[in-house]
Amino acid sequence: MRALDTAATGMAAMDLQVQVIAGNLANMTTTGFKSQRAEFQDLIYEHVQRIGAQASDNGNILPVGIDLGSGVKTVGTPRLMTQGTLAQTGNTLDIAIQGAGWFQILMPDGTFSYTRDGSFQMDNQGRIVTAEGNLVQPTITIPPNSTGLTINQQGQVSVTLPGSTTSSILGQLNLTTFINDAGLQATGNNLFVATPASGTPQVGVPGINGAGTLLQGSLEQSNVSAVTEISNLIAAQRAYEMNSKVITAADEMLQTTAQLMR
Amino acid sequence: MENALLVGLSRQMGLSHELDVVSNNIANINTTGFKADNAAFSEFLMSNARDNDFSGKDKRVSFVQDRNTWIDLSQGAVERTGNPLDVAVDGKGYLTVQTQRGQRYTRNGSLTINATGQLVTSEGDQVMGAAGPITFQVNDHDINISSTGIISVRDGTGADAPRGQLQLTYFDRPQMLKKDGASLFNAPAGVNTVAVPANTRVVQGGLEKSNVHAIAAMARMIEITRSYSDISAILQQQSDQRRNALQQLSQPPSSS
Repeated sequence: MRALDTAATGMAAMDLQVQVIAGNLANMTTTGFKSQRAEFQDLIYEHVQRIGAQASDNGNILPVGIDLGSGVKTVGTPRLMTQGTLAQTGNTLDIAIQGAGWFQILMPDGTFSYTRDGSFQMDNQGRIVTAEGNLVQPTITIPPNSTGLTINQQGQVSVTLPGSTTSSILGQLNLTTFINDAGLQATGNNLFVATPASGTPQVGVPGINGAGTLLQGSLEQSNVSAVTEISNLIAAQRAYEMNSKVITAADEMLQTTAQLMR
Repeated sequence: MENALLVGLSRQMGLSHELDVVSNNIANINTTGFKADNAAFSEFLMSNARDNDFSGKDKRVSFVQDRNTWIDLSQGAVERTGNPLDVAVDGKGYLTVQTQRGQRYTRNGSLTINATGQLVTSEGDQVMGAAGPITFQVNDHDINISSTGIISVRDGTGADAPRGQLQLTYFDRPQMLKKDGASLFNAPAGVNTVAVPANTRVVQGGLEKSNVHAIAAMARMIEITRSYSDISAILQQQSDQRRNALQQLSQPPSSS
């Protein structure tokens, strides 16, 4: 019975859907997290009786055919790249992006990763780094004993040096934009890498050319919507249950047939 | 004598096909842009079942034959996703996709951009614009898709720039479209494209969900299993009846 296999693909798909929802819910309070969605497509059809085949000897053409589908497959788990809400933390090195754009991070192997998690720290040399200690690009070193670290909306980093009363500019934090944010690949630790689907990274100044602006003292929260996830979870669980009922139904039908023989 | 068995069998074959159809619908209950299938049956009159001993005219035996599957093309609910490259077609019309096998049509508007900046489906097939494939430049951003499918972006200089218009297609006989897997439809010979009805619009940031009705599908499934076991019961009775007949008839006449 084909129905058994078809329902099995349905159960596998719903299992994956629940996994994706679990990942989203687990990251509900992860800074800069972008929620995922499972995307499904139907599998190929068997054309048991083709449209347009000859129905009889007198040349009648079948106006309709019999197409039997063979289930469902997962094509991807694209991310929803909407803005998360901003939470004020008051920390001078917490930076949220309002609008499009990503912070560029230099990884230990020399490649670049991108993140929207702006909970930065200072390392032992005074450089701005991520929570894992990777350098935020371009590298900005904060001199010791300086006070009044300010990062403005356009990404200018300035401090008041010891013995001075006016602030001096240390550097410029840039934002990287992509034509298709959903094409970025997540690598864990709130980091993403560029892929052919995301397009080439475009480094620019915040607030110019469509890049968002920066907000010091805030963090972007995850864009997971609890209500959506729970309603999706209910739908996925019910769909899983219904697919299992199909298996029961097919099983019962086979059993009925088997009982005919005595 | 065998006819009742064969008629019952023909019905069971049909029901088993129908369960295949229903199980595919249920498996695709969360598939974007999926359209439900339905099975239709017809009576098949068997003219050969004639016998000279019939009291009246020849009695023709009617069997069940699965006639066709038809696609329920009704609109699915549109779910908001907020992704700028998710589009749903509200109304009658299909997005046009160029695949390796030729032109195909889809209601699944979960689109993305490939390495060369072209607008593609999640399978990587080109989405056709009114004037060929739609291509984005590397520093385009803020993609906007109007309700008529016109795509505009802000280019590198911050100015608005058009990037084409989504090609929507509609057909004179949409019910004859054939499913091709991967949310695609194929237009067989004899199905011609016509202008898209005026009230059709494109919704950016939304996806059309599957139009499978869960309750109807479950009810249909219960009905299938019930009629399947009913037929089995009839077949069982037939078999018992024949067994009884054989037993009765084979008893030697008592000598009196």
